[in-house]
Amino acid sequence: MRTSNLTDHISRRFNKDIEDLRNSVLTMGGLVEAQLSRAIAAIVSGDSELGLKVANDDYKVNNLEVGIDEECSRILATRSPAASDLRLIVAIIKTITDLERIGDEAEKIGFLASQLAAMDRPSDSYRELKYLGNHVARMLRSAMDAFARLDVEASLEVVKEDDRVDEEYDAITRQCITFMMEDPRSIRRFMNVTWAARSLERIGDHAKNICEYVIYMVQGRDVRHTDTLDVSDTD
Amino acid sequence: MPKSWRKFLIGLALFLGAGAGVGYLYGHPDWGLLAAALLALLWHVRQLLAFDRALRTRDFEAFRFGDGIWQQIFSRFSFEHERGERHKRRYRQLLREIRKSTNAMPDGAVVVDAGNEIVMCNRAAKHLAGLKPKKDRGQRIDNILRDPAITELVQSEDMSKTVDIESPLRPGDWLNCRVVPYGADQKLLMLRDVTERLRLNRMRRDFVANASHELRSPLTVITGYLDSLAEEDIPAGWSAPVAQMMAQARRMNRIVSELLELSRLESAGRANTEAVVDVAALIASVRKAFEARNGSAEIAVDADSNTWLRGNGTQIESVITNLVSNALRHTPGEGKVAVTWRGHKNGAELIVADTGEGIAEEHIPRLTERFFRVDRGRAREEGGVGLGLAIVKHALSRHDASLQIRSVLGEGSEFRCRFPASRVTQRSEAALIGRAQSA
Repeated sequence: MRTSNLTDHISRRFNKDIEDLRNSVLTMGGLVEAQLSRAIAAIVSGDSELGLKVANDDYKVNNLEVGIDEECSRILATRSPAASDLRLIVAIIKTITDLERIGDEAEKIGFLASQLAAMDRPSDSYRELKYLGNHVARMLRSAMDAFARLDVEASLEVVKEDDRVDEEYDAITRQCITFMMEDPRSIRRFMNVTWAARSLERIGDHAKNICEYVIYMVQGRDVRHTDTLDVSDTD
Repeated sequence: MPKSWRKFLIGLALFLGAGAGVGYLYGHPDWGLLAAALLALLWHVRQLLAFDRALRTRDFEAFRFGDGIWQQIFSRFSFEHERGERHKRRYRQLLREIRKSTNAMPDGAVVVDAGNEIVMCNRAAKHLAGLKPKKDRGQRIDNILRDPAITELVQSEDMSKTVDIESPLRPGDWLNCRVVPYGADQKLLMLRDVTERLRLNRMRRDFVANASHELRSPLTVITGYLDSLAEEDIPAGWSAPVAQMMAQARRMNRIVSELLELSRLESAGRANTEAVVDVAALIASVRKAFEARNGSAEIAVDADSNTWLRGNGTQIESVITNLVSNALRHTPGEGKVAVTWRGHKNGAELIVADTGEGIAEEHIPRLTERFFRVDRGRAREEGGVGLGLAIVKHALSRHDASLQIRSVLGEGSEFRCRFPASRVTQRSEAALIGRAQSA
């Protein structure tokens, strides 16, 4: 009687630990999403103050990453989780790395926004960056939603979406090259635009990675570096 | 004893008695009784099994009519059963109505429990914020709406707080969120689409800013020519009109620059907490500027020079200037205007009190509206624009401060600005903040 109570108690604490861990990953995700959308807003509105604020706030994301990392090590060391719990922890460790990188890219975009704000502004206020940015922000949001809901189908959608982001990135690069050839004085500015687009494209890749971890977490299958079509076929 | 019982027991006794009688005729009454009892048992066992089958197949044909004990049991059973069904139908109907009405609500409503886990949400929550009514049950709300502002909102105890978040579904759309306590330990999160309202607000702000800006250049030209006209020799009959025109042009200039200041204040965010303001020094300089005027009331200053404020110096100076100039305008020459600045443990206070004519109670709530004047004609003569207190209110709200107005007709008014402790600092610490900034 006593023993069964004890195990029950321990496993309940373990459940709570895991649940807390999941919640803090999603909190970190929320923070990163906010950072990204503010960085995009800074570029579109030419708000250099907002851009610098995004760049300065990156330490919050980093702090969360370190905290969650420690908590994961603690659970691994003290609870030796198995099966789905172990997959969850492994997926979380990888997810927060990607989230932290997204935070870094957002920081970069914020900094670039503050630089772009000081230069000439095109009449369309970087519409193509806005499109790409909104697209990537949507991907990141879907990725975190899939993580919260353990939704494999939504994850697959995001993984497929990444190809379209790559296409948009290519288009922006080509456009920038054209502008630079037309007017060499604008090279500095369009270099910055290219860098921002590059960062956004990287964020798309990281969002894709997170979705692959969700699939791993739910189904135990590693779908990295495979053809996405194969993935959906096996379902 | 109910009638049906009596009938059943008498029937059983008669049957057993008849069995015993038949046995008696053959010389064995005990055997006859036993045979009758076995027959009765057999019959009841059959009825019991038939009833069980009827319950399972829902075919009660054999029990529907007649007045035996089994028919009685069935009629009682079916009566209770039907009553239960009727209630269930009614509740289901009621539930459907409730669900229909919550789904028809234009605002999103999410019921969350003490652990912030979603209990239920309506259709609007799905369309506005992308919640999934079935799938998300049991998820924590701040895991689905991950905006840091939402996390803060659902975890805070302050139920009057609202936050605006960008819609997860459509970038550019804004949702106003607030939490209402609901039932025991539960909370209701309300989501309202405020995109249109914010857009209108921004349009109004942009319009005022643009219009004032556009008015500025023609005004400069007019004042410029008027100034040079005044220096020339003008025909005798024209000197008064020209002076009048100059005064009005100056007035218009002031209105335009105050409107611009107001729209700048509106679009500015919260004032920086890293910069510090020496309020006592500001008060002294404002006093100097006003004392140069002849015939106005005396200004008494009681300022604590050790208490400094974190915020924007220009905005605080504008607060002091507007309050003092208002007080002077409404105070006769022999009156007194007292400016007090002091810190206490809950923050700090800036008080501007006068011994002027005072304000009637019904006007006080409207004082900070733009262009509101208690006495239109008179205020204009004295050079008021009607934007001063609106500017004060906005500048204070940028510093998390509140404005309290008290007044007694004929005795004077008191304008009290309360700053929270987070905005107040000491002179010694202020020097540190200043150094950190320059480093």
